[in-house]
Amino acid sequence: MRRRVVITGMGVIAPLGNSVDELYNAHIEGRNGVDFIRLFDARRFPTQFAAQVKNFDLGQYVKEPERWADSGANSRFAAAAAQQALADADLLDNHKVDRTRCGVYLGSGEGIQDFNNLVSLIAQTYQASERKVNAAAFAREGLRRFHSGREFEQEAHTTPGHLAAYFDLEGPNYNCLTACAASSQAIGEATEMIRHGDADIMLSGGAHSMIHPFGMTGFNLLTALSTRNAEPGKASRPFDLNRDGFVLGEGSGMVVLEELEHAKNRRAPIYGEISGFGTTADAFRVTDSHPDGRGAVACIQQALDDSGLAPSDIGYINAHGTSTQVNDKAESVAIKKVFGSQAYAIPVSSSKSMMGHLIAAAGAVELIISLKALNRGVLPPTINYEVPDPECDLDYIPNVAREQRATHALSNSFGFGGQNVSLIVSRFRG
Amino acid sequence: MITGVGIINPIGLTKGQFWDSLSMGRSGIRTISSFDASALPTRIAGEITGFSGKDYVDKKERKSIKIMSRSIQLAVAAAQLALDDSGIDKSQLDPARFGVEFGAGLIASELEELGPASQISANCRPGVVDLQQWGSQGLAHMPPLWMLKYLPNMLACHVSILHNAQGPNNTITENDVASLLALGEAYRILGRNLADFFLVGGADSKINPLSLVRHSLFMPLSHRNESPEKACRPFDRGRDGIVPGEGGGVFALEELEHARRRNAHIYAEVVGFGAAFDRKCDGTGLARAIRVALREAGIAPRDIDHVNAQGFSAVASDVWEARGLQEVFGDCNPPVPVFAAKSYFGNLGAGSGTSELAASVLAMEHGQVPRTLNYEDPDPRCPLAVITGQAQPVRRDHLLKISFTEMGQCAAVVLRKWQ
Repeated sequence: MRRRVVITGMGVIAPLGNSVDELYNAHIEGRNGVDFIRLFDARRFPTQFAAQVKNFDLGQYVKEPERWADSGANSRFAAAAAQQALADADLLDNHKVDRTRCGVYLGSGEGIQDFNNLVSLIAQTYQASERKVNAAAFAREGLRRFHSGREFEQEAHTTPGHLAAYFDLEGPNYNCLTACAASSQAIGEATEMIRHGDADIMLSGGAHSMIHPFGMTGFNLLTALSTRNAEPGKASRPFDLNRDGFVLGEGSGMVVLEELEHAKNRRAPIYGEISGFGTTADAFRVTDSHPDGRGAVACIQQALDDSGLAPSDIGYINAHGTSTQVNDKAESVAIKKVFGSQAYAIPVSSSKSMMGHLIAAAGAVELIISLKALNRGVLPPTINYEVPDPECDLDYIPNVAREQRATHALSNSFGFGGQNVSLIVSRFRG
Repeated sequence: MITGVGIINPIGLTKGQFWDSLSMGRSGIRTISSFDASALPTRIAGEITGFSGKDYVDKKERKSIKIMSRSIQLAVAAAQLALDDSGIDKSQLDPARFGVEFGAGLIASELEELGPASQISANCRPGVVDLQQWGSQGLAHMPPLWMLKYLPNMLACHVSILHNAQGPNNTITENDVASLLALGEAYRILGRNLADFFLVGGADSKINPLSLVRHSLFMPLSHRNESPEKACRPFDRGRDGIVPGEGGGVFALEELEHARRRNAHIYAEVVGFGAAFDRKCDGTGLARAIRVALREAGIAPRDIDHVNAQGFSAVASDVWEARGLQEVFGDCNPPVPVFAAKSYFGNLGAGSGTSELAASVLAMEHGQVPRTLNYEDPDPRCPLAVITGQAQPVRRDHLLKISFTEMGQCAAVVLRKWQ
């Protein structure tokens, strides 16, 4: 029999909560985490709002916050969420556990570019008539203006590297970045590493913030974001007919994954089990997901096959549900293809309606919300659901949380480029 | 099973040229020619000349080249070469069981694309940008798909789209160890029977003004500008830092029965993989990753024909690499030979692991391991049997490839020559 992988710790930093309970309770209350951007002056951007993390102070979580002094928000969120998850799992300074068998597998975003220095420097060295930047002038000034620490911390391996160094996790160390599917993919592959015996414990999840000028620019240019500037709180409306794009969020979600016997032997709390993982590619277009949900169907099916569960065993689906026209339709089509007529009986909701899209970190935070929902027996709603879309006709738990018992939840994550990941998380049963 | 090798490298744009350069001891490190690097402290690199991504994609797909940064183009080209080299007929492949996995680095913005928007939003005050101008006027001067050129997962995504690979697809962003971790993960996925065939590897390019400014600030780069070919000298006492480079190395990785059924040429078999974190950067974690890989391969240290080293040519990391190798191989007599491929083409970043491994795969094929360039004055703090002087015949069936980052992420892969 293959090694079973359970969740023994969880931590989050997210727009509606800087702890798992605070976040879950906000989602059950159907609160909205979207507001005008305060991190920079976005008043003249096509999109002027986002779901930002609030009241965050890294010093509340780690003793040496200065280690992250030059890091971007992604690494700082990651450190705080990791501290919560490891404390929850009793793995802080716990030397009874073989630290060489504890690894890290994140799906974290890149750091944040030094927008002001880069743009002002390009402005100064760009020769419009030739459409060229004077490379020598750019280099000469760049070497003076850019900050070495901040530049280094943009590299994606620094996020898992700091966690391993600070929390003493000396096993395998990975970061994957498959756009909006990244942290789900990380949790899936980390689960496989434990199943295979490459580690007994993996700290896994993701962290990301793209609420910065380049991030907003990139998504605005792709016309992927909602531009409902008149009412930001209504902007993220997955599956609603009048949805017009997604809303950027930011944050981190971390779980401690552990081999079942290992967890039992050290009497760790067991919150749930990762029972299924599927990952596929659309191989269709870099911008759009496949209209028939081709890759998503195969991915959900793969996760079901991996879990050995029947479609009817799934009692809740935490959708990718971005609030874009294309995703929500294709995802609904995919769910119907896999679950057939039963699809209408399975409650589906999108956490992004409340906290926006955490990009690389989205999947991990949504998995944590899903597991809390299973354990508490209350399923979070999809808020801002006002006008049903005939092409999205499933039960999206509109606006109000629902008391309903479920044992197994499916959490979907799909990313630009056609990246699909599905995870199945289950209430723990010995 | 490795059934295809695709290489785009400073020392060769084909596997044949690549091997010729290795066997003749021909370095690919030159003074940078693609832009004016005169103001940089490091003006030399393993730079690829005469490469154009559009030569590697079908005519009907050429418009997608516009949204491929150089790293993506290198990946797409190396993947195409690996696929060609594998001799597979794509119609024989089940798309759902065709995976793609890449190691990718941070991709630097092309400065020109930001030029007009920047000039609208900033005047001459350093560090000051008018965000209202940028938001209201600047965006209109940027290409709509701008961001997609720079997402690291686009290497693997473009490859999956060009070849209809609908199976598992992942992108590891772990700097210098990325492509070796990708290879290890693809090997595990094949082991779980979720795919028959993978294109796996890495590609990266740092040869542009922004990347080199950034790397000059935080990386120990070589300043030996006056003698480029002598600049990358792993484990040599006179080494003075890393030489940046660019390139892609991709393998066709295939399940044995699948390869046999189509009578594929098999270069080598992946038989062991290990990863670890070297928390103190003292070689202990590296040694642990190596031991895990050897154990999985079921062999002892003395069974290794040669170690394909990371060999940054950096003052500090070469020492702790040597310490890690000593911990595992110190008792071997005769000592296990070490080959450092970076001495030929510099550091290919996220593309380095699989590009360097390709050199050893071809070495097994040709029966001789190339010498390490510029190993002239052995550093006593790196007591390793570095292959020098001339190529050395292959004597054993297994080889070890290691990669690591300066933060401590380590990976080790053991290959067995296929018989």
